[in-house]
Amino acid sequence: MFLKKKPMWGKKTKLKSSYDVVIIGGGLHSLATAYFLAKEHGITDIAIIEKNYIGFGGAGRNTAIVRANQRTQYNVPLYKEALDLWPVLTKDLDYNLMFNNCGNLNLMHSEAAMKAARMTIATAQFHGVESHLIDAKEAKELVPALNISEDITFPIHGAMFHPPGGVVRHDAVVWGLARGAAKKGVEIHQQTEALGIGTQNGKVTSVTTSRGVINTKQVLISAGGYSAALIYDMLGIKLPISVLTIQAMVTQPLKPVLDHVVSSGAYHCYANQTLKGEIATGAHMDPWPNYTTLNTAHYIKHQAEALSEFLPCLRGVRFMRIWGGLADMTPDMAPIMEGNNHVEGFFMDCGWGYFGFKSCSAVGKYMAEYMATDVCPDMLKPFALKRYQEHKLMGETAELVSYSPDN
Amino acid sequence: MMNRFNHLPTLKVDTAQKIAFIYKGKKYYGVKGDTVATALYANGIRIFARSLKYHRPRGLYSLDGECSNTCMEVDGIPNVRCENTLLKDGMVIKEQNVKGSAENDWMSFLDKLDWMMPAGFYYNVMHKPAKIWPIAMKQIRKAAGLGKISPDFEMPGKFDEIFLNTDVCVIGGGPAGMMAALGAAQKGLRVILMESRPWLGGFFEYRSSQYKEGETLHNRAGQLAKEVESFENIRVFTHTAAVGTYNNNLVTGFQIGKKDDVFNERYIEIRAKSVVVAAGCIERPLIFDNNERPGVMQINCALRMAKTYGLLPGKKAVFSIGHDLGLEAALELHDLGLAISCIADIREDGQDPVLLKKIQDKNILFLKGWVATKAHGRKLVKKVSLASVDGQVSKTFDCDLVVASAGMTPVTGHITVAQGTLKYDNHTGFFLPDQMPDKMHAAGRLLGLNDPLSIEASGMLAGLKAAFDCENCSIGEIGEAKKALENLPGPVRGTKLVTAPVKGRKSFICFDEDATIKNIKQAIEKGFDVPELIKRFTATGLGPGQGGIPGHNLPLYVAKYQALPDISIRPTNVRPPLVPTLISTYAGVNHKMFKITPMDEMQRKDGGIFRNIGVWQRARYFSNDLSCKKEIENVRSNVGMLDGSTLGKFRIYGPDALKALQRVFVSDMSRVKQGRIKYSAMCNDDGCMIDDGVVIKQGENDYYFTTSSGRAGQTAEWIRYHTRYDGWNFALVNLTDALGVINISGPNARKVLEKVVDIDISNEAFGYSEYKEFKISDTIPLRAMRLGFVGELSYELHVPSSYMKAVWLMLKEAGKEFNIQNFGVEAQNVLRMEKCHIILGQESEQRTNLLDVGLGFLWDRKKADAKTIGAVALHQAEKDQTRLKLVGFKMENNSRAPRDGALIVDDKVRGYIATARDSFSLNEAVGMALVEAPLSKIGTRLTIFEDECGDDRIYGKVVEMPFYDPEGKRMKM
Amino acid sequence: MALTITCPICGKRNGYEFKFGGEEKGPRPDEKDLTPEAWCDYVHMNKCVAGVQQEWWFHKDGCGSWFPIYRDTTTNLEKPEPGGQK
Repeated sequence: MFLKKKPMWGKKTKLKSSYDVVIIGGGLHSLATAYFLAKEHGITDIAIIEKNYIGFGGAGRNTAIVRANQRTQYNVPLYKEALDLWPVLTKDLDYNLMFNNCGNLNLMHSEAAMKAARMTIATAQFHGVESHLIDAKEAKELVPALNISEDITFPIHGAMFHPPGGVVRHDAVVWGLARGAAKKGVEIHQQTEALGIGTQNGKVTSVTTSRGVINTKQVLISAGGYSAALIYDMLGIKLPISVLTIQAMVTQPLKPVLDHVVSSGAYHCYANQTLKGEIATGAHMDPWPNYTTLNTAHYIKHQAEALSEFLPCLRGVRFMRIWGGLADMTPDMAPIMEGNNHVEGFFMDCGWGYFGFKSCSAVGKYMAEYMATDVCPDMLKPFALKRYQEHKLMGETAELVSYSPDN
Repeated sequence: MMNRFNHLPTLKVDTAQKIAFIYKGKKYYGVKGDTVATALYANGIRIFARSLKYHRPRGLYSLDGECSNTCMEVDGIPNVRCENTLLKDGMVIKEQNVKGSAENDWMSFLDKLDWMMPAGFYYNVMHKPAKIWPIAMKQIRKAAGLGKISPDFEMPGKFDEIFLNTDVCVIGGGPAGMMAALGAAQKGLRVILMESRPWLGGFFEYRSSQYKEGETLHNRAGQLAKEVESFENIRVFTHTAAVGTYNNNLVTGFQIGKKDDVFNERYIEIRAKSVVVAAGCIERPLIFDNNERPGVMQINCALRMAKTYGLLPGKKAVFSIGHDLGLEAALELHDLGLAISCIADIREDGQDPVLLKKIQDKNILFLKGWVATKAHGRKLVKKVSLASVDGQVSKTFDCDLVVASAGMTPVTGHITVAQGTLKYDNHTGFFLPDQMPDKMHAAGRLLGLNDPLSIEASGMLAGLKAAFDCENCSIGEIGEAKKALENLPGPVRGTKLVTAPVKGRKSFICFDEDATIKNIKQAIEKGFDVPELIKRFTATGLGPGQGGIPGHNLPLYVAKYQALPDISIRPTNVRPPLVPTLISTYAGVNHKMFKITPMDEMQRKDGGIFRNIGVWQRARYFSNDLSCKKEIENVRSNVGMLDGSTLGKFRIYGPDALKALQRVFVSDMSRVKQGRIKYSAMCNDDGCMIDDGVVIKQGENDYYFTTSSGRAGQTAEWIRYHTRYDGWNFALVNLTDALGVINISGPNARKVLEKVVDIDISNEAFGYSEYKEFKISDTIPLRAMRLGFVGELSYELHVPSSYMKAVWLMLKEAGKEFNIQNFGVEAQNVLRMEKCHIILGQESEQRTNLLDVGLGFLWDRKKADAKTIGAVALHQAEKDQTRLKLVGFKMENNSRAPRDGALIVDDKVRGYIATARDSFSLNEAVGMALVEAPLSKIGTRLTIFEDECGDDRIYGKVVEMPFYDPEGKRMKM
Repeated sequence: MALTITCPICGKRNGYEFKFGGEEKGPRPDEKDLTPEAWCDYVHMNKCVAGVQQEWWFHKDGCGSWFPIYRDTTTNLEKPEPGGQK
């Protein structure tokens, strides 16, 4: 009734000797860019080169939270568009991305945090994004499991409530975009490793892969946590990135108990209930660079301590599975997107930290425009690499930068 | 209630001691030693739960919790694996995820609709039209999930945590684990032995077959356990599952408390020098139609039901097995009274001839090369069909018990979680350890061994290898142990059968997620052709059993279905916790920790309302009026006291102390004069101010300086970091906790202080911006500074923490006649804002540098040799006219102050309000804002956008700073 | 993973006692004629090596010293100096 016996993202094919565009990385930003290149710009001669399988990295490891309540005016419109795109993509891809716009509740634990939240909320409202500052009692009404007593490490003063945010099924986005792109002619080559980028006279000429050399004039590296290392290895371009492991975990499945995404900066913790009923929770990063995606005993314990305090009913629930992924962090918690700068035909889309999932739909759209027209769309202009040498960090985090990657 | 055996030496229950419990509102009895599941089984309960998707009946299948079949709600706690949870008096047990009851579930019709729900079907439905999705989603949420937890549930019990160091940690208290522990302990090493069951013995414990002449395996297990317990350097943790293994030999687990323990559960974290994994095997589930129907169970489950718990698991059984343990179990259970219609062995040959002879002697029908293909019976097994492995011939037998198992499979989670790798082994059919993690050794059955003596020898070898890691064993000894093992029987040949010859529509590869063989085929055909992708697409292995059921069948099936020439496919990653672990257990004891100042208690007595600020607890308010009107007015017109003990305080001295200060402070520190206070700032490399404070010269290359409260913890780290290449000689001492700080401020401050100190503190003798050290009553050493953070005459007294109370009381007593009052952090915040003294993070952020916040005058540009941190960025950004700048503003039409965080806008966001208040001192609203440079000119009108303002805007005007006492007369008086 | 770091003063300890301090980039450059590119390269840019790199650590809950080590970022294990003794 529903099934056709056909691989969803095309049959395994031979790698051609040339493509109009080569995209390194089979994650969401790559798939979305390819999809929009094909859909909006008629560029279909594209090869996506993925070392493992699509969705292997951050795309399949994030906890799927989406929201558009960032701090600065450069970011909010981009994430707003991304948020607005989920229903559109569900329809266009004809694939249920399971967007659960349950709303996000970001807890505040001090007067200072309330003030910071107010600035973020005002910024959201100014850009037409719904977001409100609510007090602890109102937060408790939304999330009855919340502990709003004074008797915890970080008593809850209030929360930033962002109703349009929520959760999207991350795997569905990977498969939906892959299917959508493949239908339009994009080739997805899994188990294929990109080994180098060939250049001549400051222009991209080819990409060397584990399955042969591809001639091409345009390359995008959007390989999540691996981007910075690849870009340095292949082109010698250094980036202000630190690659950290970020962990997430789920409990055993429960009947509905948590109707919103709840997060807390002070506790370094977020929690939401998946459609399957598991409480998905995480947030902490081990503040030293590594590519292991391994878990730590330290962290699952920390998470339990945090949840025990602000969602104490979960003390009776069991953790079932913890995993890790990579986050490529920049000093200002904002990404780096640009093209034709160091090398003509070379584009990069990286430094997303743990925001890569939330942004993928809109970024795909704009990166596609950028690559198709060679003109940087206004939306992406603030994200150029040169801001770091101009001493103009974006301020997406209020924290002051120091030498360490966790700010 | 079923009859129990009470004569078996292997029993772990005491049938004489009854334990009462409540199941579905009715009282039942089990016996001491029962698990919840065995007690229910003894009371005739066969259907424990319904499955997640199809609401199929589920019963007892294994006894080690590899699936959610026996997950129930116990005492309000959901998803308790009843098959290995000990029964306790008064337990209240309920079914989960049923509409009606587990016995009669109204939702069981779903089982017939499986054709509507192929793998990944939900991605293709319910989104057209878009309107139906929110409704469908609600229904999905309701249907999903197993147990229930109430939002106001309070977890009872006590939870503890311990952190241990040891030489060798052994995971698994079976024969191999015990031998490893003994091997290492005999070398004098400290050993920790972890066993998930409540007793040692593992694979030997419940078996009566012969270990050697005159000794059963059970006897041998007891003997080994005794020996282990006799070693003082072996610490045994039973009922303790190892749930995580990490590199560098960190092992975590949790221990279930016994009746007299002070904890219900205890988190254990062990740092070992070497780890031995002897976790044994579980059974690889046999895949056939209805292979999870209640009445189908694994060999060990059936055998241990009888031998450990004294319960005959059925009346009439059919065995469909692929391992000699199945034959042994059949014989034992037969002798205990189980009728056996047939034993179907997957293997054509290779069985233990002794066992075969016994089967023949007992006239049990034995079919070689046969396997179960379908269990019949709507809720419970009534019959089973068997077929030859090639599917050519079949037979059907009546029975109420099917003992089914494809063979053994090693428990390798501890190894792979620690980044060891596995390799498919053609002889055993197992995924065996390939590359072991550094200083981790495997032993026993998980290496494919089956012979009791081999198992023990491999344990001894692993124990000695671990001792070698601890440098307590010679290569020679290891060589001998290796030889001993090599002379014993090696791994036995295993069965290769992955599924019975069935189509697989109702053959379940994963019970928890109701995933069938057919679903796996569907996924592969859609392009999900590796186990990791199939796992995501079909959810196989993602349920509470954590992959225990499908773990090794999935890769084997994927290889078989795609007819891969060699099994290079690996099982999906196993994730910690290897056993589901309560959040309360991980959380352990309470971790609420804050620093308190020496004045904490006294300020609380005075009505201080405290807040957590950074690592400290500080008095933020002294009344419920959060505008702090009285506190503020008292400082402005009289005198107030503030506890500033959280301020960072440091001494830096040594030949290169000045050089270090020049590196981190933006001012020229060579110009600090003795007896004077130098206010300065530290920047980061981007020129952003990260700290400010005062510096006092106490002697040549000997300075005392303060930092902001929030920064004190990083100051030493910061200074040492930025001087790490220089090899400079200086000592840096953090005095933050050694000294407290009292800030006494207000026009009457001098009058109060005069009464306490013995020296002349007149304005002439002790002027603004000066520093003095003296003693009160020849006893209490004081460091006093004339500062003006709040804009009034003010003294900052740095007092040894131990004298803080005394000085505080003296000042209070002296101030009585002036009615001296406390003031808190919020009053200070308003007072300093009126003076436009900034607080880092409040009036500054990542986008603002020292110049932007108006403190450029602190920066000395002429010390390039010092390589001052931030100087380069300040030079380079100096002329940039597009940055945010700090401005002061007042409101138009004398209107109220905007809320902190409100935006400055035109058609775009141009800045935001840092701090603004209705000032009592000035009788108008004032504040500071960060705005884009073009808006920073005096007189510029600011359009303010507050949250929830809709289309309303309020307006302010940029004015000169500071607002209060611009000439600074009051702080200098 | 369970990181351990070997402090030259305190020995091999739990990694959480330490704070990471960035890739080794050499001493602070001279201020004179430092271009924005060169400044940025020193302050912000990383190589993000997937493999062995030299990097700085601070023994925060210990002796309070800064020291460089070699670590393999793909395994999270300390490594001896490449080409060095040991």
